[in-house]
Order: sequence, then C-alpha cells, then structure tokens
Amino acid sequence: MTRFLLGRTALFALGLVVASVLIFATLRLLPGDVAQSIAGTTGSPAQVAALREQLGLDRPIAAQYLDWAGGLLRLDLGESLVTGSPVAGEIAEKLGVTLPLAGLSLVFGLLIGVPAGVWAAARHRRPAGLVVGVGSQLLAAVPAVWLGMLLIALFAVTLGWLPTQGWPLDGWQDPGRALRSLVLPALTIGIIEGAVLLRFTRSAAIGALDQDYVRAAAAKGMTLDRALLRHGLPNVMLSVVSVLGLQVVGLVVGAVVVEQLFTLPGLGRMLVTDVGRRDLTKVQGELMTLTAIVLFVGLLVDVAHRRLDPRLREVER
Amino acid sequence: MRPSRLLVPVVAAAASLALLAGCTAGGSDAPRGGSDATVTVGLVLEPSDLDVRTTSGIALDQVLIDNVYQGLVGRTQDNEIVDVLASEHTISADGLTYTFTLQDGVTFHDGAAMTAADVVWSLQQVADDESLAGHADLASVAHISSPADDTVVLTLSQPDSALLFALTGRAGLVLEQAATNDLSTTANGTGPFTLASWTQGDSLRLERFDDYWGEAAGVAGVVFRYVTDGSAAINATLSGDLDVQTAVDATLASQFDGVDGISVEKGQTTDKYTLAFNNAVAPFTDPRVRQAIRMAVDNDALIAAVGGSAVDQGGPIPELDPGYEDLTDVDAYDPDQAKQLLAEAGHADDLDLTLEYANFYPAAIGDVLTTQLADVGVTLTVQQVDFTTWLNDVLAPPADGGTRDFQLSMVNHAETHDFSNWADPTYYWGYDSAPVQQLYAESLAATDPEVAASKLAEAARIVSEDAPAEWLYTATTLTAVRDGVTGFPTSSTSTRLDLSALAVSE
Repeated sequence: MTRFLLGRTALFALGLVVASVLIFATLRLLPGDVAQSIAGTTGSPAQVAALREQLGLDRPIAAQYLDWAGGLLRLDLGESLVTGSPVAGEIAEKLGVTLPLAGLSLVFGLLIGVPAGVWAAARHRRPAGLVVGVGSQLLAAVPAVWLGMLLIALFAVTLGWLPTQGWPLDGWQDPGRALRSLVLPALTIGIIEGAVLLRFTRSAAIGALDQDYVRAAAAKGMTLDRALLRHGLPNVMLSVVSVLGLQVVGLVVGAVVVEQLFTLPGLGRMLVTDVGRRDLTKVQGELMTLTAIVLFVGLLVDVAHRRLDPRLREVER
Repeated sequence: MRPSRLLVPVVAAAASLALLAGCTAGGSDAPRGGSDATVTVGLVLEPSDLDVRTTSGIALDQVLIDNVYQGLVGRTQDNEIVDVLASEHTISADGLTYTFTLQDGVTFHDGAAMTAADVVWSLQQVADDESLAGHADLASVAHISSPADDTVVLTLSQPDSALLFALTGRAGLVLEQAATNDLSTTANGTGPFTLASWTQGDSLRLERFDDYWGEAAGVAGVVFRYVTDGSAAINATLSGDLDVQTAVDATLASQFDGVDGISVEKGQTTDKYTLAFNNAVAPFTDPRVRQAIRMAVDNDALIAAVGGSAVDQGGPIPELDPGYEDLTDVDAYDPDQAKQLLAEAGHADDLDLTLEYANFYPAAIGDVLTTQLADVGVTLTVQQVDFTTWLNDVLAPPADGGTRDFQLSMVNHAETHDFSNWADPTYYWGYDSAPVQQLYAESLAATDPEVAASKLAEAARIVSEDAPAEWLYTATTLTAVRDGVTGFPTSSTSTRLDLSALAVSE
C-alpha cells in the first residue's frame, strides 16, 4: 500500500507540472492581452504600451513562466493583472461557492442516480425499467442551460419557492439563504450527473443480478429488490466510485455553465470573466486549482478503490 | 452496507433539504417602502476594477459617478451640464478662464471636509499623468489654481468648447488628497451614497451617506446585481428578485406584457451601433463601395430584428449630443442603386467581405446584414469573437505601423460626445478627412456653444456623405421598474445612473 501511495502521489505531482506548462502555453495563444482589455476602446496606443511594460508583458515568455512556476512551488499564485489583488485569496473566496455547489450537485446526483439505477436494473426486462433506462440516456444529453431555465421557470418564477439567481449579500453568514441559492443550480447539475450515474449503476446492477450470491439470496426467499440492495449494492458501488472520478470533471464543467446562468460568484463565473479580460495570471491560477482538484479526486478514487475492493487488497498482501 | 442503514441518512438528508427550502421559502423580500428601503437593480456589465483613475469603461462611470464620486459639474441623464460641487461657474468671454465657486459644507465619506486644495490636486493629477483616464480631455488646461478658499480657476492655453462637458466625467472628479484608501476596491467620494461592498462576479452595494452636503438620498441603500444572461434577468425581475432591471433585451421584453406591478420605460441613449469599414484598405478605398454597402442596409428591418427598440440615425452624432441632425436621407436604403454602384466599381456579384464583431452583441445583426448584403451581390462572412480578440484584431494599431487587417467591424460606440474619433486619422476605421478635422478644430475653438454645435453638425454631415461607416441604429433602452419605485433614470442608463432621486413609496 505504501509503494502504491508513493507511486500514485508522484503521478499526481507529475500531472501538475505537465498541466502548468500546458495551461501557460495554451493561454499565450489567445489573441489580445490584458493591456488592451484594460485600455478598452478609449485608451490610446501609448497607454496600452505603458500598461504592457508596467505589467511585465513585454518580458520573454520563458522568464514569465519560470516566475509563475517558481511562485507555484511556494503556493503563491501571484497577483491579478487587473486589480493587483492576490489570486490565491480570490480563488479561496470563490471556492466557498463552487465547492458547496459541486458537493450538493454530487449529493443530488447520487440520490437520483443510484436508487433509480438499482430500481431500473431489477426491472430491466419490464417496460417501467426500460423507460427509466432510455429516459436516463436522454437526460444525460440535455444541455445544462436548458434544464436550468426549465427549473427556474417552474420552481422560481411559477411556484416562487426558490430564488431565480444570485447569491446572498452576506454569503455563508446567511446559511439558509446561501443554501437556498444553491438548490436549483445544484439540481441542474445533479439531474444531468445523476442520469449518467444512473446508467452506470443500472448496468453494474444488471451484471450483479446474474451473480450467484444474488440468485442464492433470492432463492432463500428474499425479494429481488432486497437481494440486490443487500448483496449486490456493495459490488455496484465499486463501479460507481470509479465513475465518480470522471464525474468530477463533469461537475467542474457544469459549474462554469450553471454559475453563469444563476449569477453565482463562483470559480466558474470568475474564470469566464477573467479569460474575457485576459487576466492570465488569474486564469492560470484558476485552471491550476481546478486541475489540482480533479487530479486529487482521481488519486482519492484510486485509493478508495483499493481499500474497498478486497480482491485488490489481497494482491497487495 | 445494509439497505436500512443506507436509506436512513438518504431519506433524512432529502427531508431536511426539503424542509429548509420550505421554511425559508418566499424569502425574496419585497422592498420596504420609504426611506428605509433598499432597492435591487439589475445591470449587465460589471467593472473589472473600481479605480476611477486608471480603469476605463462606462461600467464604472455607471455605478460610481454621481452616486459615490462627484465633480465640480455633472450632467443630467439627458446630457445637460449642471453644477454639482461648484455652486456656480463662469467662463470668461475669451473662453480662456473657467472660474468655479465651491459648495459649502462638502465632506468626503471618511469625514474630512472638501477643500479647494483637494479640487486643484484632483484635476492636476489627471492633467499631469498621461496614464490616467480623462488625461487627454484636459490637454487645453495650462494652469489650475485656487485664488481663494472657495474658488478654483482653470486657465486654458486655447479655447476648448468640449472642456466643460469633459469635466462632468472622469477628468473632473474630486478625490481627497490626504486619503490613502485602495481605489481598486474602495471609494472615498462626496456623493449621496457610500460604497458599502463589492463582490466581484455578483453585486455591488451602496448605502446612503448621512452627512451628504445636499439633499439626502431617498433610499437607505442600493444593490446592483450583475446578471449577464438576458432571460435570467427577466426571470429575476418577474419573481421579485430585482426591483429594477436596466437594459432589458428588447427581443424578450414582451414577457413583461400584461404583468401586474411592473412597467417598462423607454429612454434615449448614445449607443451608436456602428458598422465601420476599414477605409485604409481596398475595396473600401473606393467611395462607391462604401456608399453601396450603406444603401444595401435596410435599417428598419434590422431594427425590427433586434426587437424594435432603436432609432435610425444616419450619421455619427446621436440626438442627445450637440451637433445632431437627422441624416437618414444620406445614402438611404436603395438596393438597386447599391447594385449599380458596385457594378460601376467593378464588383458586380463577386464581392466577398468579412465582418468581425464581439460576441455579446446580438447574432441577429450579423444574420440580417448577411441577408441584406446578399441581395446586392455581396457575400458576407460573419465572425463573432470575444471582445478582447476584437480589440486586438480591429482596434489596436498593427505593431509594424502598417494598415489594420480587417474589412468590416461592428461595435456599439456607447460613449457620449465622441465625435473626435472621426477627426482622428489614426483611429481604427482609418478615416482621414481634412475638412472634418478642420471643422472639429473650429468647433473646439468656438466660445459660443451654439457655434460649436453647428460646426459639429456641419462636420457630421460631411462624415455621413463620405460613408466611412454605416450607422446601423442608435439603441433605445428599456428599463423594467416595479410599481412603487420612483425616480429611477430612464435615459443613458448604460453610461450614468444618478440615483439621488430614487425612492420607494410607503
């Protein structure tokens, strides 16, 4: 286990280094720069040139990269090219919205996907099960923006239960309102992610149906649902956990779209704004943070998988 | 993992979430009436930084000038100049001396009294530092002084009819010389509201300043929320999350039809949606091509396609600015004439052009122009790009000093009093006309505002007849206002938003 952990951590670190180069290089391909963005339509060419020099944009690319990467090693993400405030502080503040959003989305996704998947698997030869199976295929392909607008129209505009968009002015100091602001956005991502989870759970559970231990339990007199839940679920959860690692990427992409639609001041919305302004130091910090989160969850999933699956544990011993 | 153990927390979690949503439902507070009210206002574009000294762009003017920062003079929503921190001003007959008498009892938000020294320092900074917003506006100012405690005098090197209006903007704002606050995130002005907080990506909050020198603001606070998506903004207004929504998308405004308690108001703007030609390159060096494209555009059809909330202008100066006259008769819609001009210029049915514009403008503009130009035999390719890409491709001068590499560009020139761009041969459209530059110089040198305006009108007609661009339309802005909310401006809301008269009935 120790060797496995060390190897996996080294892979994690290598992933971050590669990501830092890719992110830095790709962003340099964008046309235009932050000096032009700050000067806008009214600034003179002389103003743009002065800004460029002041912000160090005229320095060699390699030197700019080394400066930034050196800062990363000290966990210093640098300062925004537009406002001059520390990037790490702003990201931490936005994560206060995005992480709870992603967490709640995952909870909704699991609450929808796993029970419905097991239920549909037990009925996979009957019409009801088929309908759920096909329905999940459709739902997984629905654009988040469209689903979000439907949910807003129903729950916020027509029924008036939840806010249409926005984040409370006091943030988490007003936890009730903050949570209410997150319900519809999280449901939007959760339903789509849940549909994906449903498909994986369903096919894993259908596989478990044919296993001897489920059939034996059913033969002893358990109902099929109960046999699946009690004996099939632990095996089904293994494949769900593996899929979760991939789902995190979906959560991040979902957050970018959904934060825009619901005007939530999170990392995704900030990312879109900062790319538009070419505030590259901030964009780099944001992308590195997201990459680190995705890679770290991948690491956790691998470790969890090894802990959960007795077969893998035995190989170790 | 037994089912009972799994199910209990799941059901509990679901139930508590439902309960929470239920308990706090209906939490969108209707605004309390009277002077304790807080009004929530939906805006579209958020400033990137709050530093009024260095950050350009009208998104900052919109929320901070008039409300938080003030100048010696200000302007109404209809662009009339009014005294603000000056109780009165006089201009000498030769147009070279501007004398401002200061208001009594003006205090900054940090409690310090405003002095003539603060005013002189504020203006001097802009005049001295070319990296500050508004620097070019003070080019004619030779000397700034304070001969008495309540007087500030500007001495000019030459008459400048644009100066007084420029002082209503960035160039004229008065800041406190001794203050050390970080202008990027805080503000210390003299206006009726203080800046209470700014959550980037979400909202900006103002609170009434109790020691305001003039009549106190009618509401306790204003919350600006930045909602970029047009439908999301309308939903927020319909559900009561917003009390006022500015810049309502005209193609969606019908959703407010027949809704009780919300009225939609129309207002004028200086938002000039301009289809500019790159006059420095072929085929636009041929005036017949430029005129043909102008004649190929059916402005009324285009206006209908963007929701009908706009007027045809025909030239570079909008109705709210001095020098306006109706120029819609110049190169009016005439596809047959357009075809003939193109044939004369040797481009019968074989002209391929590319239009580049920013992706936050309606896609309908590109679609309609493609169809209309196809009718006269021009094949138009439309590229919608992000705004900084547009700045790089179109606005920025090429590094090698050559000509710019674009053909057609569309942008909303929202600034007011911006005719000077047509007298600047280095501006992106590459329009270089000696008579226009001469008339503009004469307009600046005029000491009589009426003479200045008539020179501008004369220049604007020449510009329109030279056809360096097609002025597609000037937007009419829509503001949705909840019943009971009064005093919200309706004109020029994207550039200025004076909320001192805002009130909510009891």
